[in-house]
Amino acid sequence: MALYINGIGCISPQHTFYNSVFLPEVKEYTTNRMACVDADYSKFFDSGSIRRMGRLMKYGTASGMIALKDAGIDVPGAISTGTALGLPEISQKFLRSLIEVNETIVSPTAFIQSTHNTVSSNIALLCGCHAHNNTFSHKGFSFESALTDAGLLAKENVDNILVGAYDEVSDYKYAVMKKTNELRKEPCSSLDVYGEKSHGIIAGEGAAFFVLAKEKSENTYGSFVGNKAFYKPESMEEIKNHILSFLKENNSSLADIDVVITGISGAMEADSVRIALNKSLFSTQTIVAYKHLCGVYMTSSAFAFWLASKMMKAQQIPDTVILENRNRSPKNILLYNSHKHNHSLMLFKAC
Amino acid sequence: MSELIATLKVQIIEQLNLQHLKPEDIGDDQPLFVEGLGLDSIDALELIVLLQQKYGIKLANPQDGPQVFKTVRSIADYITAHKSK
Repeated sequence: MALYINGIGCISPQHTFYNSVFLPEVKEYTTNRMACVDADYSKFFDSGSIRRMGRLMKYGTASGMIALKDAGIDVPGAISTGTALGLPEISQKFLRSLIEVNETIVSPTAFIQSTHNTVSSNIALLCGCHAHNNTFSHKGFSFESALTDAGLLAKENVDNILVGAYDEVSDYKYAVMKKTNELRKEPCSSLDVYGEKSHGIIAGEGAAFFVLAKEKSENTYGSFVGNKAFYKPESMEEIKNHILSFLKENNSSLADIDVVITGISGAMEADSVRIALNKSLFSTQTIVAYKHLCGVYMTSSAFAFWLASKMMKAQQIPDTVILENRNRSPKNILLYNSHKHNHSLMLFKAC
Repeated sequence: MSELIATLKVQIIEQLNLQHLKPEDIGDDQPLFVEGLGLDSIDALELIVLLQQKYGIKLANPQDGPQVFKTVRSIADYITAHKSK
């Protein structure tokens, strides 16, 4: 069932929180870690609650509220979110304090925010939503699971579903990524990560939310047609088969696709198959990449969802995301993302 | 007593993350809850944690909370009374 994207909200390592503009300036990073550009959170929360919120709590909740406001919806019909790691920074703060005080009495504030569903719960509290509220935590399939949930809810006649994803790169996670040699070692521009000799990734983070509705509105960005996830494909042939069958299931074909958003990360070891696939399967489509803007994290496909929404509404593809330009207008967009063994496909159609 | 009150103001700001306040912004006898600093029930729990962690004092009777946490001075009085016990 296709759903209209009637509102969006995104806070990322780029200037994405104002929906009136589309990547007005691209923020360049020269380190292997990207952090969200903060919005003015005092516009969203009173000073009493803002002082208790951790960083992700602030940008996650604000993204959801931006999407609701953008759609002109006060209370969504349901909330469905995805997060791979929850709120690690504040959870670790709570666990550290537990050790420091020898498991006696600890601050309640960090404890309250140390569960994965804190952001979606906070949004529900702020907008007074007592409906379905689920948070999925399945590594690279977290946002995808939330989308599937939203699709199932829509089939049960739930409308104006707030769906989104959020993750942060905590100091601990960053240290682990460094230790396991996942990160780029040499300093280099984030705008130049897809070179043939590139190794390692840039750690990233962000939050993106969307209001999915059955009816088109004046603010509609485009429609979300469907999604599919698959795990650990054994060959490029298997990936091709998944893509072609997914398009067929959604009454589409490769020839219909104008733009492919690819989830390549800048690490040649992981990207080589995707690059070969782009060459062999998507020879007539404009190919777009996005992880140089938001970094690599397990729910980055939500950032790509935001990018697709903006491209459909603006009917414009920013130069900074174009890998291969075949002068196609962004009418039908296929997103093929992957994070390690988690692969996912999403299909969008401009209105 | 004045030294303890000054220390408490710094600790309250830190514990409750009242970054917009300086110690001198909090009056010794200013109500901390509702109409005063606007603290709430979660802050009350944070103050209980502060008392236990920094001064080793457990609030024996939770019903005493509203009186103990009324102002910075009342907290200082409670600490002084219970430290000597």
